[in-house]
Amino acid sequence: MTRETLLTFAIRFGFLILLFCMVIYFSLSANGFASPRSAAFILQSVAITGILALGVTCTLVVDGFDLSIGSVATSALMLSAYAMVILEMSAVTAVLLCLLMGAIVGLINGLLIVKFKVPDLLATLGMMFLLIGLQRIPTQGNSIATGMKLPDGSAAEGAFSAAFLWLGRHRFDLFVEKLVPVPVVIFLITAVVIWVFLELTRHGRLMYAIGSNERAAALVGTNVNRYKIAAYMISGVTASIGGILLAARLGRGDIASGNNLLLDSVAAALIGFAVLGAARANAFGTAIGALFVGILLQGLTMMNAPYYTQDFVKGAVLVLALVFTFYLSAKRSAGGKT
Amino acid sequence: MLRRQAMKLMGSVALLAGYGSVALADMPAPLDNPGDVKIALVRYLSTGDFFQSYLSGVETQAETIGMDLRVFDSRQDAALQADMVDQAIALGVDGIIIQHGLTESMKDAAQRAVDAGIKVVAFDVNVENDAIPQIEQSDYLLGKLALEQALKDNGNAFTAGYVYVPGIAPLDRRNVAWEEVKDANPDITEAAVFGTLDNPIANSIANQARSVMQANPTISVVFAPYDEFAKGVKIAVDEAGMADDVDIYSADVSTADISAMREPGSAWVATVATNPAVVGEVSVRALALLLTGENPGASVVVPPTLITQDFLNEQDIKNMDDLGAQMPQFQHADVAVADWMPLPTR
Repeated sequence: MTRETLLTFAIRFGFLILLFCMVIYFSLSANGFASPRSAAFILQSVAITGILALGVTCTLVVDGFDLSIGSVATSALMLSAYAMVILEMSAVTAVLLCLLMGAIVGLINGLLIVKFKVPDLLATLGMMFLLIGLQRIPTQGNSIATGMKLPDGSAAEGAFSAAFLWLGRHRFDLFVEKLVPVPVVIFLITAVVIWVFLELTRHGRLMYAIGSNERAAALVGTNVNRYKIAAYMISGVTASIGGILLAARLGRGDIASGNNLLLDSVAAALIGFAVLGAARANAFGTAIGALFVGILLQGLTMMNAPYYTQDFVKGAVLVLALVFTFYLSAKRSAGGKT
Repeated sequence: MLRRQAMKLMGSVALLAGYGSVALADMPAPLDNPGDVKIALVRYLSTGDFFQSYLSGVETQAETIGMDLRVFDSRQDAALQADMVDQAIALGVDGIIIQHGLTESMKDAAQRAVDAGIKVVAFDVNVENDAIPQIEQSDYLLGKLALEQALKDNGNAFTAGYVYVPGIAPLDRRNVAWEEVKDANPDITEAAVFGTLDNPIANSIANQARSVMQANPTISVVFAPYDEFAKGVKIAVDEAGMADDVDIYSADVSTADISAMREPGSAWVATVATNPAVVGEVSVRALALLLTGENPGASVVVPPTLITQDFLNEQDIKNMDDLGAQMPQFQHADVAVADWMPLPTR
């Protein structure tokens, strides 16, 4: 009996305890780790991948997958730069355009999967390649920056507006002056909104129902297709939010495939399975998962660990989290039966 | 015979219209009839501003001479790149420029081209062949010039951060300069080495650099010998409010880099660069020399230029065009030229 409760305890709180121990360890061994500023930049370093991960969580909930989020983010990065630098639009228009682009990409992904019966991995893989190419067509593969040369020989006159850069660079005062960057606030808001939506609303529960048994959900009258499309649209919009924040931080439109963004955010979402023993995609877990990777990487960087150890560590954490999820949870349910 | 003369005349007229006074008829054979000379550019890397600009340099110089240029783009597929060399041989080209690639995969392909009587030059890839001149944008000098400026500005005793990812050929060559400077100046403390090529690079570097700055607040000089690295460090330094305490020295330049260096109070004080378009032009000129039987030398080095923040501010330079206008040595390298060779007009 005690062994069983111990196991349940380990599954539920194991990951959070590990996180806690890691923070203590880095505080003691890495110079300057334990400070409000460190907390702020660790959050900043995970904010963008975290936002993307929250989107992918929604698609995981309906038993789908979105491989296109990384390229949606970099497309939004290029689109916002293009809108402001070359088309000389305002910050608000640029942001709205990016969000619209994310929603449309999500809609197309959803329609491909639901209406055309293309398997989710393949549909979003195709979309990924399509977007990586598409984002480079308007500028013939060049990055976008103020003063860049246009094909007709003149120089681009537009610039990133101050209001847009504010999104990536402004810091709110919290105890310490200029502490919390805007992307962190947006990350936290997105996390809360997605958490409330998935856990507390009827729509969220129906999405979980679709994820665990699509047929059963359909038989009780759920509009499965509409919810699936909605999940991909949420994913597209959150990815474009991530791209907007990235553009605002970098201040230029860098061409990038976004594959690292994709992998990091998927890792965060999968690590999230293990948090509180949920054994399924959930918004709280995803946020903690992103934070976990962020703390680990920033702590290692502060201790001067070389770059290749970082991928290794990311991989190790992911494997550990998957063991937590699949082995221990399976054992727990088996233990419950006997 | 008459037809050929007429065609040549027409060609000269077209070129004259486009490029000003060019004495075309004076070019030695086979370039006395440049429209019949086919050359191929076989690329390994093509994505990004540097490679885009390199290509434009190759295109303008080939067009100025009047040669027929074919571009093969293997998009980082080493095996495909070797196949493309064979394709170019089959196409009957007169000359090939190999742009980047792996020694292992390109060595044999390059030899096959030489055996077929084709003139070959290689840019930034060592194909271990005496018949093939190497075009280089001396990465070692790039690093050395930046570090000399750092020593000039900061003396020879400072705490440094260094951004480096081993195993990337140009970065390894720039690293040699850093190692030398460290050995020669024992009072330079290397407090931290970091780096990543995770895409988007500037963002990933910014995250790392924030941690490094927090852990080592004494760092006063950062050597970031690649502009994406420097951009990332600059974001981190700005976010940490340390722009006045840290100086960033880097390599490479672009319009976006110029505006980052010129932001008020920017920590990015100097960069060293070769103009990729010029490297492209030099590649074509070296090949043209080879085609006419002249020898451009086993290694053709395009010298880099130091660009400081002060210079950019004094001359009010906003983009790459301004930079070229104010810095003639950046716009044109006096390398692999001949009296008869037409140069692109600026």
